[in-house]
Amino acid sequence: MNIQVKETSKSFDQLEVIRDVDLTIMSGEICCLLGPSGSGKTTLIRLMIGAIAPSKGTVHIGETLMPNMKLLNDIGFMPQNNALYEDLTAEDNLNFFGSLYKLERQLLKQRIEEVLTIVDLTAHRHKRVQVFSGGMKKRLSLAISILHKPKVLFLDEPTVGIDPVLRREIWRQFHQIKQDGTTIVVSTHVMDEVIECDRAALIYNGALIEYDTVDNLLAKTETGRVEELFLLAADQQKGGDPR
Amino acid sequence: MMQLAKRVVRQTLNDKRSVMMILIAPLLILTLIYLLLGDTDYVPVIAVDEVTPPQVVMVLEKQELDVIELPNNVESAKAYLSSHPDVDAVFRADREGTDITLQEPSKKSSIAVKEIQAGLTSLNPAAKIATTYVHGSTDQSTFDSLGYVFLSLFSFFMVFVISAMAFVKERSDGTLERLLMTPIKRSEVILGYTVGYSFFAILQAILIVLYTVYILQMASNGNIFLVLLVLLLLATTAVLFGATISVFASSALQVVQLIPFTIIPQVFFSGLIALDLIPYHLGNLSYVMPIFYGASAIKEIMVYGNGFEEIWGYLLGLVGYIVVLYLINVLALKKFRNT
Repeated sequence: MNIQVKETSKSFDQLEVIRDVDLTIMSGEICCLLGPSGSGKTTLIRLMIGAIAPSKGTVHIGETLMPNMKLLNDIGFMPQNNALYEDLTAEDNLNFFGSLYKLERQLLKQRIEEVLTIVDLTAHRHKRVQVFSGGMKKRLSLAISILHKPKVLFLDEPTVGIDPVLRREIWRQFHQIKQDGTTIVVSTHVMDEVIECDRAALIYNGALIEYDTVDNLLAKTETGRVEELFLLAADQQKGGDPR
Repeated sequence: MMQLAKRVVRQTLNDKRSVMMILIAPLLILTLIYLLLGDTDYVPVIAVDEVTPPQVVMVLEKQELDVIELPNNVESAKAYLSSHPDVDAVFRADREGTDITLQEPSKKSSIAVKEIQAGLTSLNPAAKIATTYVHGSTDQSTFDSLGYVFLSLFSFFMVFVISAMAFVKERSDGTLERLLMTPIKRSEVILGYTVGYSFFAILQAILIVLYTVYILQMASNGNIFLVLLVLLLLATTAVLFGATISVFASSALQVVQLIPFTIIPQVFFSGLIALDLIPYHLGNLSYVMPIFYGASAIKEIMVYGNGFEEIWGYLLGLVGYIVVLYLINVLALKKFRNT
């Protein structure tokens, strides 16, 4: 499923957090929302999921106008913090979130086996989350978000505070999920991660400053580093319209 | 909805401290209150001035009093008592009248006065005043007459704390946000929580009622099942009240910081102090305190022996609270999801 964001703005208490964003995320691609912290990445994700309604403009996922409760069945979401129940075991966490999607008992059981294998936590399924390491929690959180085979997966800063080895591992899993035709939207402020994605949307101060394939974006820079594009945008805003 | 309730139960069971707080702590505190407010076998010590006629001394000695002789050389009763803290009263009776000097206005002093008066009336049976109560009896302890307040107080307080903390944790851990990114209705989330904690509320209610009535022998004239119903409604109110308060707190510490505003005023207006005795008509504030409704209903049942016809007004008050708090909580979840 593709995602179309049309002329969308969002304000909280008069403060415009998202400004007139036009963006179409292609079905089956990994799209990166790249931007410094506070640039509006999370708000944009919440608008796309339909957690909040835009102040102006529209968001569609496939043919469906968001927000839409039913479509949440096709959406996976991995929040910035782990959002796990520490008092429950890994399996209980999966069971609980799985039951909210009203998956059939047998299917849910089978899916739990599958996702535990994908994130390599099968051996730790009966341990309580409170004894998990940071990396294990991240992987469990990812497992929960893909439990119901979502067609669109939103990942909000999934690799924050993760060591390089685990980061590579997690990206490998994203690519694996993509193989099933899942559209993945990843927000990150780590500029290097952009090369893992098909396309990148550069967000600065709530506005979309660039959206292109990663190859094209890198070609626009002199040094082959994405930072350049942000520095350029910062300079333009200073010279142009002071918002 | 039931998945959520089941999860709440499982999660709480996994946390031993929460289980202790809901089920064991109220029993412990009620036992302490029983010991503190229950019957006392204290025998006051009184020193009798030598001018007191011997027949008066004799009747005093027949009472539950430790009678000693006041030494001759004392300057005044007050000076003697100040230097003898273990003596409760100095007694002096002669033709001009009777003087009792006591240490301080306290429970010990009132026991001494009560015993002395009982002795004196036995000298003159015509002066005897017979006291009878419509509800309860003269030999009832404070625990018997006020215990019901504590029953509702602790039931409310424990459930409130557990629920408020759990909700704060859901908010700060992000699990509530994740929950609302699944196709569950906002109303189902709150209902699931309420049902989950109500499970513990029922257990708690059964446990503390059986304990106070059968083990602590608190006087009860009414239907125990009605008491259980009241406690269940009160605890449900506490779950939703805790959830509402958690909106204003971003950590467990802040929940504790809010207790002086949320719980302590309710203690004073719960029935511990008769509403008519509270000045400036402030007693009317009781009507905005959920604990008041629970405590009053339990008083009607346990002390007055009344049935459903007399308490439905209080039950309605609690149900009203439940409905309003439920709606507030469903609306508060809009922060996470608009639909």
